Amino acid sequence: MKTIDVDRTLCDNHGQCAIAAPDVFRMNADGELEYEATFDDALLDEVEEAIDVCPVQAIFLKD
Amino acid sequence: MSTPTVQVPYLNISDPSFAMQSEELRAAREQSWYARTNYGIAVLRYDEVSKLLKSPKLSQGSAKWPAHNGVHGGLFYDWWTKNLLVLEGEDHHRIRRLLNPAFSPRLIKDLVPRFQVLANELIDSFIDKGECEFIRDFAEPYATRVLTILLGIPESEWPTIARLASTVGLALGVTFKQDLDKVDAAVAELYEYAEGLIKDRQANPGEDFVSRLVLANRDGDRLSDEELRNALVLLIFGGMDTTRNQLGLAMQSFMHNPEQWELLAERPDLGGKAVEEVMRINPTVTWVTREAVEDFTYQDLFIEKGTTVHLFTQSSGTDPKAFPNPEMDLLGEHAPHYGFGGGVHHCLGHFVARADMSEALPLLASRIAQPYLTGGDEWLPDSGNTGPIRLPIGFTKRS
Ligand code: HEM
Ligand code: HEM
Ligand code: SF4
Repeated sequence: MKTIDVDRTLCDNHGQCAIAAPDVFRMNADGELEYEATFDDALLDEVEEAIDVCPVQAIFLKD
Repeated sequence: MSTPTVQVPYLNISDPSFAMQSEELRAAREQSWYARTNYGIAVLRYDEVSKLLKSPKLSQGSAKWPAHNGVHGGLFYDWWTKNLLVLEGEDHHRIRRLLNPAFSPRLIKDLVPRFQVLANELIDSFIDKGECEFIRDFAEPYATRVLTILLGIPESEWPTIARLASTVGLALGVTFKQDLDKVDAAVAELYEYAEGLIKDRQANPGEDFVSRLVLANRDGDRLSDEELRNALVLLIFGGMDTTRNQLGLAMQSFMHNPEQWELLAERPDLGGKAVEEVMRINPTVTWVTREAVEDFTYQDLFIEKGTTVHLFTQSSGTDPKAFPNPEMDLLGEHAPHYGFGGGVHHCLGHFVARADMSEALPLLASRIAQPYLTGGDEWLPDSGNTGPIRLPIGFTKRS
């Protein structure tokens, strides 16, 4: 099963991932990223879209 | 507002002589993280710009622009109040989700060879003269033809697109109200253009960018023809002048830093770094505007609901607190700039803009040596979106 890894040294809290895949990524009240490392297979397309749209390309999928 | 403990600087940002890269602004940034202005507050330092740009307490501030100018109806008004840039919340996110896949960096990469051919063709047209008007001869045709390539329309139509987009651009100027009829007529023409494009791709869908938008759907939801048309007009409008101006500013920055130009000529792989450095120290979008959606306190400042907040890009990108060596340095490691904005409204077209400019700059550097101003340059003011209108330069042709 694939898991998500966000490189926090790159992530700049733009929140584009939370727009693309709201079931997996969300922005808290302080405007900071929170996410689940594991996700339902049905959400893979959304997660791949989040990876694509991240302006700083900080999101990675690991096996 | 609470009584500030330090003296808060004041900036008149709509004064035509107001300059971003000035002693006045540097002194203000040294004194305080923000300044008061004649139109809201201005945030000057890197950490604060970074934080507030993505704050859920602030929303897009440009929505009320037509109303500010006494414009309450018409084609431009209808388009403006429904486009991605000013929509908020789920209305914004829904459109953004449907547009995103067409802007995937993997798809943009396929266009790179065409950007290179285009850049070389434009350089060929003036290289033997030893001089050119950089905006007319390079930046404008390049920026516009990149869009025609992206949209899959004949490149020969670029002058029409450029003219229409510039006319709509009058809407951003101080004479907006007088120009309204012209602006609305140009929006009508752009609509016709976009509608033709959409019909064509609906009838003959391919693998191209507009076909992807036409076919885009998510969970059964798709863009209506009207939403698609509004989006295409926004792409033409938001992608053209910005790229043209940013290329002009890049040339200016490299003329001030000739050793960096030489480095780029030797190391074309630094094209991407060149774009980031230019946008950090000399961004065309000099500020991004937000508006407080509720009362809140940030650091020592109480910000009342409805307050306009300008996030200054050049000032934050050269803030000595975040960049101890703020000078242009293609080999340096620098924090990200905010020349493409940030947060939910982060530029949708940045992969395109980064890809096309990072091809153009090293190709220019590899063929043109020692560019210098020959006189007669003209500039937009520093408020909002800036850059050269005319930039006559001379140079030595490299052999
Ligand atoms: C050097 C070139 C460019 C610069 C400097 C630039 C800059 C920006 C900035 C600063 C924003 C955020 C505005 C705000 O938050 O108020 C933005 C948004 C946007 N840009 Fe760009 N841009 C460039 C090129 C492009 C291109 C080529 C396209 C399209 C092909 C494009 C499409 C958009 C769109 C659609 C938005 C609105 C996004 C939203 O509100 O969700 N831009 N751009
Ligand atoms: C999509 C890319 C665009 C970006 C990045 C962008 C960015 C900006 C920024 C940062 C400002 C300064 C904020 C302000 O003063 O309100 C600005 C000003 C403005 N922009 Fe844009 N804009 C874009 C597209 C557009 C479009 C499509 C229009 C409308 C036709 C537009 C209309 C305005 C207006 C009306 C202002 C206010 C001018 C001023 O206050 O001096 N922008 N733009
Ligand atoms: S889109 Fe990228 S930068 Fe933005 S919050 Fe998500 S991971 Fe971080």
